[in-house]
Amino acid sequence: MRPSRAEYPYRWRLMDRLEAAADRLFPRRWSRWTGWLMLAPALLLVAVLLIGLVQIADASLHTLDRKTFRTSAAYSLDNYRAALDQGVYLAVLWRSVLGAAIVTLLTLLLAFPYGYVMVRTRSSNLRKLLLIALFLPFFIGQVVRAYGWLIILGNGGLVNDLLGLVGVPPQRLLFNYPAVLFGLVQYMLPFAVLMLAPALTAIPEETEAAAGSLGANWLRTLWHVVLPMARPGLVGAGLVVVSLTLTDFAMPAILGGGGQDFIANAIYDQFFRTSDQGLGAALTLLLVGIGSLVVGAVFTAFGAGTLAMGRART
Amino acid sequence: MTRHIQRPSLSRRAVLRGGVAFGGAALLAQLGAGRAFAAEPEKPAELIVRAWGGSWVDALKAGVSDPFTAATGITIRHDLTEDNEIQPKIWAAAEQKRVPPIHINWDTTTNATKSALRGVAEDLSDLSNLAGTTDLAKPVGLEGYPIVNTYGYVYVLAYRPEAFPDGAPKSWKDLLDPKFKGRIALYNDGIGFHFPAQVAGGGKLEDIPANMDACWAFVEQMKAQEPLLGEDPDFTTWFQNGEIDAACTISTNAREARKNGVNIAWTVPEEGCKFDTDGLWIPVGLPENELYWAKQYINFALTKDAQQVWLDGLGLPGVVPGLTPPADLVDDASYPTKPADFEHLIRISAQVQVENESEWFAKFKAIMQG
Amino acid sequence: MGRIRQQGPQPMIRDAANAAQAAKAGPAVSVRGVDMDFGAGPLAVADAGFDLARGRFLTILGPSGSGKTTLLRMIAGFQTPTRGEIFINGEPVSKVAPHQRAIGMVFQKLALFPHLTAAQNVAFPLKMRRFDARGIPARVEQFLDLVRLGGLGGRRIHELSGGQQQRVAIARALVFQPDLLLLDEPLAALDRKLREEMQLEFRRIQRELGVTTINVTHDQREALVMSDEVIVMEAGRIQQNARPVDLYRDPANAFVANFIGVTSFLPGRVAPGGLECGGILCPGTPRQALAAGTPARGAIRAEQIRMAADGAALAGLDFRLQGQVRDAIFEGERQLYEVVLPALGGIAVQVYHHDASDFALTAPGQTVTVGWNRRDMILFPAAVP
Repeated sequence: MRPSRAEYPYRWRLMDRLEAAADRLFPRRWSRWTGWLMLAPALLLVAVLLIGLVQIADASLHTLDRKTFRTSAAYSLDNYRAALDQGVYLAVLWRSVLGAAIVTLLTLLLAFPYGYVMVRTRSSNLRKLLLIALFLPFFIGQVVRAYGWLIILGNGGLVNDLLGLVGVPPQRLLFNYPAVLFGLVQYMLPFAVLMLAPALTAIPEETEAAAGSLGANWLRTLWHVVLPMARPGLVGAGLVVVSLTLTDFAMPAILGGGGQDFIANAIYDQFFRTSDQGLGAALTLLLVGIGSLVVGAVFTAFGAGTLAMGRART
Repeated sequence: MTRHIQRPSLSRRAVLRGGVAFGGAALLAQLGAGRAFAAEPEKPAELIVRAWGGSWVDALKAGVSDPFTAATGITIRHDLTEDNEIQPKIWAAAEQKRVPPIHINWDTTTNATKSALRGVAEDLSDLSNLAGTTDLAKPVGLEGYPIVNTYGYVYVLAYRPEAFPDGAPKSWKDLLDPKFKGRIALYNDGIGFHFPAQVAGGGKLEDIPANMDACWAFVEQMKAQEPLLGEDPDFTTWFQNGEIDAACTISTNAREARKNGVNIAWTVPEEGCKFDTDGLWIPVGLPENELYWAKQYINFALTKDAQQVWLDGLGLPGVVPGLTPPADLVDDASYPTKPADFEHLIRISAQVQVENESEWFAKFKAIMQG
Repeated sequence: MGRIRQQGPQPMIRDAANAAQAAKAGPAVSVRGVDMDFGAGPLAVADAGFDLARGRFLTILGPSGSGKTTLLRMIAGFQTPTRGEIFINGEPVSKVAPHQRAIGMVFQKLALFPHLTAAQNVAFPLKMRRFDARGIPARVEQFLDLVRLGGLGGRRIHELSGGQQQRVAIARALVFQPDLLLLDEPLAALDRKLREEMQLEFRRIQRELGVTTINVTHDQREALVMSDEVIVMEAGRIQQNARPVDLYRDPANAFVANFIGVTSFLPGRVAPGGLECGGILCPGTPRQALAAGTPARGAIRAEQIRMAADGAALAGLDFRLQGQVRDAIFEGERQLYEVVLPALGGIAVQVYHHDASDFALTAPGQTVTVGWNRRDMILFPAAVP
């Protein structure tokens, strides 16, 4: 007798069919390879990235001959020499690294209270509002946001209009380093909050109450309890913000007025403006190297386990 | 170089005139239709032309592409990939002996020269309409015609008249006035500014590229003025938003801003302005028949009628004699036609430019980013 | 509002002078007319009031939602009463922040700091309360020894067992010698054996230090075992405040009678000498004076009903009647019977029987005799709700 629909819902039957099909495609006796099968697409992607990196490394070892616009056959380190000898690249490199450090610090400083209020507030309306305000920028995109700042901070923009009301003459708010950093912080904030929120959620409110009952005021509770317990989130958010900032292109290009290039802008110039792929590749590898150093340093300082990966310990 | 100007600027009159032109039988003759009865290669369904967007592609479409389609039945598709970004793709295709991604590249002469030096551009010496062009069509310092220049343009000193109550600036040095601090814009690679800077800094044009100390000294002085650095669309925006008072920019951008209602004028100061050209070229590796029709497209772009409509849209001087300038550009410094007009324009061979460009570029960046 | 108590290194056990001074100051904790209104629904705590003498162990007992935790949180300072005042050592504390009160608290989920070692957890309040740094290690060691964790101070929290974590939490709450120790159901999550062990451990430590303690639980056994005094709460109100034995023997109302122990209720009306139920007079004693004829309920505990297969064995009792065993639940040291009494309209009573040799004799369906003495059934007015 066929089981009735109530006893055996269609969803179960669908799962049965799918399972049977999966068995035919990938028999059970291969099941110990299933994990690798799931990993395969990701591994493939990493492999392709690696091949690209190797090609870039190869390109970085050939110099460009401007008589023929072809690269030399011989290998040399001239591109790296050029990159490190010319003050402009060191200046741009330093600007990127310093920018990444400042932006990360400011972003975490702003993201922490935002995430904390979002996680802790008892008002679900406030939480919704904060979440919407957080996600909305994602739908707008970096370039459009940068152009928005051009309008708001421009000579005839909202901010200068407001300053004009109190008698302050128009200020040049754009096209300088602070403008680029401002744009980057604003861009990074949602990433940081989203990375921080789960870590803050994982801190029981009771633990904070405990710190209070043990004699810690809110500041000392924050410093001695909440911050250390939020460390995985802070480190994760910091890593994301550092790497995104270090490699950012649009904000320096749009809000920097052309005088505040980061490394990515310099790389773009080499690849697409002067057609010097060798020097571009060398700069790219320098960027990859610096990025890896930063991440490595963070892991050394805080330990890889700090991201709360690995098996749960109870 | 990014060219992206939002509003189409073709006048209705210009389009009508173009329509009349390709309606006549003259067009067929211009295309060498007399030979069409001989072994004319098979027509491809379409040709792909890389172009700059906005009013640039609209002008090309009205002046060249649409009449060409009407005459030959070959559809023209415009690929709006950046010129800087199509270049590595073409180079890679040639390297790997693949068919290139486009048939015709509308390019700056400087960029095109790099491709020509690399040997990825077809020679166009056999185009029949080259006979009727001025010297401007010939690329300087290259063998034959790997590129055909199709018009010229001037990197003028564009300015807001309100900021210059005493009239147009006479010299590039006028921009060193402290009141223009932060109110000047240059291209972010310094293009267009190097040569006038060499003169303004007290150097000689003949010393380029050997000795450009004068140029760099002047760039240093300009750096103290904290100029904005950008690309074509930035200039139009900055003028519109009142961010800048003066810029070294292609006249087309200034004209575009003026059409958008910004009060803006331009001039060629006493030190002169850089004059340069854009052109059309064909990447190597096309099938025989497609190469033939791609050449016919460029040949057609060199006809007087095509040039008239196309360049009316751009407001730039063409490479065939006898074109009528747009009404607003008659006797304008940015639209040179007579030998006297060229007196203050600086033209340096494309080869010298491409060989030294990245060095100039790096030097300019080093000063500006320092 | 200043600190409640002078901070700094102090002798571990209160000395006699201190105790004398403390006694003079009156109750350690005094709750006066406290309400807590969360806005929605009835008051979470309504008109709560009690005094707790120094060194006593009080348990607030009640089902979930009775307001017991809210009351504790108000004493701790995490919530402010909407009405009334709480005094600690005679000083009103409503406007004193939790970290300024000298209260140690052990939380339901312990709330230990996972990023610190056991010793660092215990040292935390000493650092926060700015004890002399030189004295801290010795003090921490002393308290780890007190909770029998000597030598385990270097362990991370996740390296300790559940019972050891409990001990760290106790040491942490006591190390700064608070005026008051609050326990927010810390034993609820433990398995029964460990829970019973920890109940005795809490009691031992509390006695050793003499610290005034307020415990919150829904476990009646825990309340009876650990406490000097028990407050029973229900629906935000204090139902009874008494010593465990009095609470058990003399429940103030039907709720308390029902909540503590296993109690059967017989419905009826007050009659001279007992309760008239189904036309039969069941001997009992009213808790307070009740006019004859008043609707009432008679409460009797399972262990105070005697039962035998042979009625003659119960000859000494004030009252006997026959019933049928409906169910028998074996609980190890005793057996719980459900006996239906046809004479009382088919009401069932619960009966504990402790004689293991007898268990098999009284199977379901068997007719038995049950009986009790007059003083063991207490009459309450039939509850209005």
